Amino acid sequence: MSAELQRARNRQMIVFLLVCTAMLILLGRLYYWQVVRSSYLSQLANDEHIQSQVVNAPRGYIYDIQGHVLATNVVRDDVYIAPIQFATDYTGDNAQTELALLCSKLHQVLPQLSQDRLKQLFDSHQASVRIAGPIEPTQSQQLRALQLPDTFLEPRTLRVYPDGDLASQVLGYVQEDQGGVYGIEQKYNTLLAGKPGSLTAETDLMGNPLTVGVSSQQQAVPGANLTLTIDSNIQYLVQSELTAAVKNLKAQSGTVVILNARTGAVVAMAGAPSFDPNNYGAASDQKGCLGTEDVYFNPALFCAYEPGSIMKSVTMAAALDQGLITPNTSFYDPGYLNFTDGTPTVTNWANEGYGTETMTQVLEHSANVGAAYVAHNILQANRFYPYLQRFGFGKSTGLEDPEAAGTYRDPLSANWTPSDLTRQSFGQSILVTPLQMAMAYQTIANDGVMMQPYLVASVNNNGHITTTQPQVKRRVISASAAELLKGMLVSAANFNKQATFPGYSVAVKTGTATTQGISDDQTVASMAGFLPASNPQYVVLVKLDRPQATIFGGTAAGPLWKTIAQQLMWHYNVTPDQ
Amino acid sequence: MYDLKEREDTAQSVPRRTRLVARRRRQLYPFFFHMGPVALCITSVLLIGLMAVLYLSQVSQAVSANQQLQAINAQQAAQKRQNQDLVNIIAQEQSPAYIAAGAHKLGLVPAGPDSVQVLVVKHLLPFTNNEQGFQP
Repeated sequence: MSAELQRARNRQMIVFLLVCTAMLILLGRLYYWQVVRSSYLSQLANDEHIQSQVVNAPRGYIYDIQGHVLATNVVRDDVYIAPIQFATDYTGDNAQTELALLCSKLHQVLPQLSQDRLKQLFDSHQASVRIAGPIEPTQSQQLRALQLPDTFLEPRTLRVYPDGDLASQVLGYVQEDQGGVYGIEQKYNTLLAGKPGSLTAETDLMGNPLTVGVSSQQQAVPGANLTLTIDSNIQYLVQSELTAAVKNLKAQSGTVVILNARTGAVVAMAGAPSFDPNNYGAASDQKGCLGTEDVYFNPALFCAYEPGSIMKSVTMAAALDQGLITPNTSFYDPGYLNFTDGTPTVTNWANEGYGTETMTQVLEHSANVGAAYVAHNILQANRFYPYLQRFGFGKSTGLEDPEAAGTYRDPLSANWTPSDLTRQSFGQSILVTPLQMAMAYQTIANDGVMMQPYLVASVNNNGHITTTQPQVKRRVISASAAELLKGMLVSAANFNKQATFPGYSVAVKTGTATTQGISDDQTVASMAGFLPASNPQYVVLVKLDRPQATIFGGTAAGPLWKTIAQQLMWHYNVTPDQ
Repeated sequence: MYDLKEREDTAQSVPRRTRLVARRRRQLYPFFFHMGPVALCITSVLLIGLMAVLYLSQVSQAVSANQQLQAINAQQAAQKRQNQDLVNIIAQEQSPAYIAAGAHKLGLVPAGPDSVQVLVVKHLLPFTNNEQGFQP
């Protein structure tokens, strides 16, 4: 082999080795990208064309007992602009002209945004800016028709309440990030919200899922629909009459509770002042319950107060049930009652004495002395407090959560004195919620049996319907004691004639509660009772906080109680019993 | 897909048949048809073309179906939205406040205890629930 040939072969060998080396390097890189980095690159590629979307579950509707919609959902659009995209799309001389034209068109549809403001927003150099929303459907249509450049509509589901402030404190409201807040919306949030689904699919350039390619879908489970025991017609009547009464009597606030006497179902529950859940932010500075609670709280459940004389029915119930008194048991009432154990003297309103009076007359006169005499001299602590407990005072009813429990001192409490016993007998030194007080009267109306109060009549969870059955909570007093007490309350109603009207017998008790440390003319005026007394159907409690035009339960709360009671009888075609 | 048949057994003994065999060696038998390379090539191209046409047809149908589905989805969303709006409007117009306002516009006033006269007929037995309907 010649030297020339040998060199040529060597060169060939070198070239061959170089090629082999290059091939090895390429193979190595290939292995690195295709094997070592395979999952990472696959992930990157999938992220480009496979998208996972959360499919929101539609929130359940809330109906009243008649099937009228109290809470529903609508879709509204937010308006977004893309300033950076606009700056990219329009450069040079015509950019300002196009911007002015775009701002002018946007201003025509969204008059609340000035053209100067819109120009500022377009100069913000942000990827996207929300300029308005939620906008009305007509505005959405106009914007779609205009097909404005770099302007986008983003749909958003909103919770709406078609009746405005009707039963707003019962319903609560929904915040987008928190879900249900207050009331039914909060308590049943999990049920109402449903379960969001998901959709994973290959998408086109616009992000729309493709039918071809890999996809997986988990269906959203729509929220359950709730039917409340509330009757919109009665609720509206109660709310409008209460608002008018609060205004006319110059009261600070007020509450009305209506219960079905036999089942414990809440027919209406209203507070004043109230708020519109469609625009709940506007009421953020409003206070209810004598300025102590935000207006969003349901005062019937949260606003614990000293009930005053309507508590005397409970005192009488305890004594009647134990056979310690009858409606005709009498004692001498000089207008005051002294005690030998150091308990402060109890007096009637304006120190008025009624002479010899029966227990029925104690209720007719609303005599503090009579109630204190029964509690202190006849019942005593060991026979009085068990009844407070059995009537449910000091413990929340469980209607909604959270709920005020109310409180009172008993002999086991620190600082309890016999004075607490005497004062509690006529509704002082004890805090109760309006619902607790209404439930006490429901017990008397229902022959001594307390029912579990409830607001939700049925739950329709995607076809699976659960209906609430009335539940007996406990027997509090005997049927005979309840019957005797009914008669005493009818006498009290007929004696004062503040709540009576033709056709129906009513059983009521008034309350004019004063608070220690506050002037006696700053009262909580209330009236609680039921009708028709011969066959009770509805329990009505009316409470007005610090009325100024007239301060007494009979004169302030009485007319409102009577109006509501009469409308109830007409609305439900209750057979007259007189 | 096809066989390439060789006949080497006769090539050694008969020279004239060698040419024939040699010619036959280049003949191909895809699908049991005698086919030359050019014909095979053309057939292959045609087959591939046909498959491509079929594939593209399927893909275009899928894309078209996808577009239709998206349009239907959009239509469904719009109708759902419209339905929700209608539910809301109906609820608003059935609300007691709306009806009361309408009644007020017509000049009606709410009936209260003071504005209603109740005639009490003495000794009239009240209806029981079973007797609510009129029976001759």
